[in-house]
Amino acid sequence: MELFLQRCFDGMFTGAIYASLALAIVMIYRSTGLLNFAQGEMAMMSGYIALMLLTAPGAAGFGFALRGTDWASRWIPFHPWPTSAAIAGGVAFGATLGAVIERFVMRPLERKSTLSQVNVTIGLLILLNGMTLWIWGPFARSFPSPFPNEIRDFVIIGGARLRYTTIGVWAVLLAAIAILGILMQRTKTGLAFRAITSSRENAALVGVPVGRTLAIGWAIAAGIGALSASLVGGAIVLEPLTMMNMLIYALAAATIGGLDSPLGAVVGGLIVGLAQALAPGYLGIPTELTLLPPLAAMVLALLVRPHGLFGTVPVSRL
Amino acid sequence: MTATAEAGIEAMPEPKPRPGWHRIFWVILALLVIVPPLVAEPLELNRLARLVVLVLAVLGVNLLTGYTGLISLGHGVFVGVGAFTMANLIDTGMSLYLAGLLATAFTGAVGLVLGLPALRVRGLYLALITFGIALAFPPFARRLGTWTGGVTGRTVVNDAFAPPSFLGLDDQVHVWRYGCCLVVVALWFLLARNLINSRVGRAMRTIRDDERAAATFGINVTAVKAGVIAISSAAAGTAGVLQVLLNPYVSHGDFSAFLSLRLYAAAVLGGLGTLIGAVFGVLALIIVPFINGVIGLIDNEAVAFGAGLVIVTFIAPTGLAGLLDRRTGKREETGRVSPS
Repeated sequence: MELFLQRCFDGMFTGAIYASLALAIVMIYRSTGLLNFAQGEMAMMSGYIALMLLTAPGAAGFGFALRGTDWASRWIPFHPWPTSAAIAGGVAFGATLGAVIERFVMRPLERKSTLSQVNVTIGLLILLNGMTLWIWGPFARSFPSPFPNEIRDFVIIGGARLRYTTIGVWAVLLAAIAILGILMQRTKTGLAFRAITSSRENAALVGVPVGRTLAIGWAIAAGIGALSASLVGGAIVLEPLTMMNMLIYALAAATIGGLDSPLGAVVGGLIVGLAQALAPGYLGIPTELTLLPPLAAMVLALLVRPHGLFGTVPVSRL
Repeated sequence: MTATAEAGIEAMPEPKPRPGWHRIFWVILALLVIVPPLVAEPLELNRLARLVVLVLAVLGVNLLTGYTGLISLGHGVFVGVGAFTMANLIDTGMSLYLAGLLATAFTGAVGLVLGLPALRVRGLYLALITFGIALAFPPFARRLGTWTGGVTGRTVVNDAFAPPSFLGLDDQVHVWRYGCCLVVVALWFLLARNLINSRVGRAMRTIRDDERAAATFGINVTAVKAGVIAISSAAAGTAGVLQVLLNPYVSHGDFSAFLSLRLYAAAVLGGLGTLIGAVFGVLALIIVPFINGVIGLIDNEAVAFGAGLVIVTFIAPTGLAGLLDRRTGKREETGRVSPS
């Protein structure tokens, strides 16, 4: 029982990280009907930027100097930033990147086919991954946690250790969801965004600034997604392949929860995280095959409930 | 909308077929077929043959994405399945031809099984599942020690892949192998051409353009999609078969997710929805690293491929093939995945 709880707590930590990336994917899917395959790599760039902001020059982990720290120490005030400030900086970078991609890459393709748009996101996936590899190299970097992460930093619940980092990550995720909810329900931009989600043409007809709203939507989504690369603190190392795997977990989470449901993204993220933490112990799946349980869960979801737990069944019309 | 209207006007049958680009292309292709065996060193020819073989995998992506509108980000896996199956079949000592056919058929079956869950729903789910499989395959293959040789990979004896003695080519094994690959690739292209000109091919394009309309016309959408997935992965499987025959060493590391992404990028760069696009795609696979090496502008292939994919979508939606032939360059608005 203790072991079960312990594994659940471990799964909750990664689950929150998958949920944040899934949430970003779902936001963009809801508003544009597009699966953004580049979401993970956008997050990864933000993660590396955050890492650059918090690393003092010449003090990078694993003995490999992190490129950009010299530049940052010269031009950015108070350079080695505290971890949480650096994460905020990474999120801001991610949001800017999201808005820039929407404005200069996706918007000109607005009237092109979905296939063209998806191709572009796949192109961005390859491009951003290549750029990250090019700039920062193939080395694994450990990302410091913004929360107390010493060996003794945990509370005991039912005999299992719930680490402060897990609590902290969920707190950040829930805060982000709360802010998102307020933005969506209480502000004019949120109203415009919901109008676009419901019908883009009709929203444009009643005078909603579609382009600007979508750019803001992409920025918010990319900002939330950027959290996934910055909050891995201690549990997962950051290397150029990290976010590709993470993208699969997030896509699995979004598929399980329903691609058009933000609640589904969070629940799906939790399910994927738990499946991943429990499967090695109880099903004897070796840990290096951690991709299999989420994939199997995704296939199962497609077979049993193709539109996800919370997704709406689409009505098609000729 | 206006684009479609223009396309309708410009796509009117022209009085006589334009000479020029089209013919030049065939000349270039013929040169590629004839010249390398005469001038290239055996090792270089082998390397070229391995790239020619990749045309098949790109052709597979093209059949699936370009003609049916389903995205596959996992064709590298099917190349791998074909290669590993072939390696195992060779070790049983069976005829190479039979082994090749069996491995191809087996890969098609694997593709079918993996793709079926995605076919229940419209939309991009096949892309999700195939991308997941592309990432999961290398560690998975590393675990299957007896089948794939585990961490170190495995070596097969491909001596039997040599010219029959009556041809008198005994000291020209590489030329013979290159020729064999070209013949197999040509056979696949013939098959693909016949397929897309058939009733099934028209069904494929209808599904790509509007799935619901296709269903209304009485097309069995799921059956056609399933069939195309099987054929498309079988083509990639043949690529794997030939790769083993050309290079007797095969390991999980050859089939990383980046191979799948590069194959997809090649299909898009070459031109979706045109058969010849697969050839151009592989030309891109050759040319991009070459340009990188010469100019030294970008020392990272992925950046070039990714940027190429984005740029091509903007300026030449039908890829290099579309740039070359204006008549096929008007298909842009039809190649789409119906949103779910």
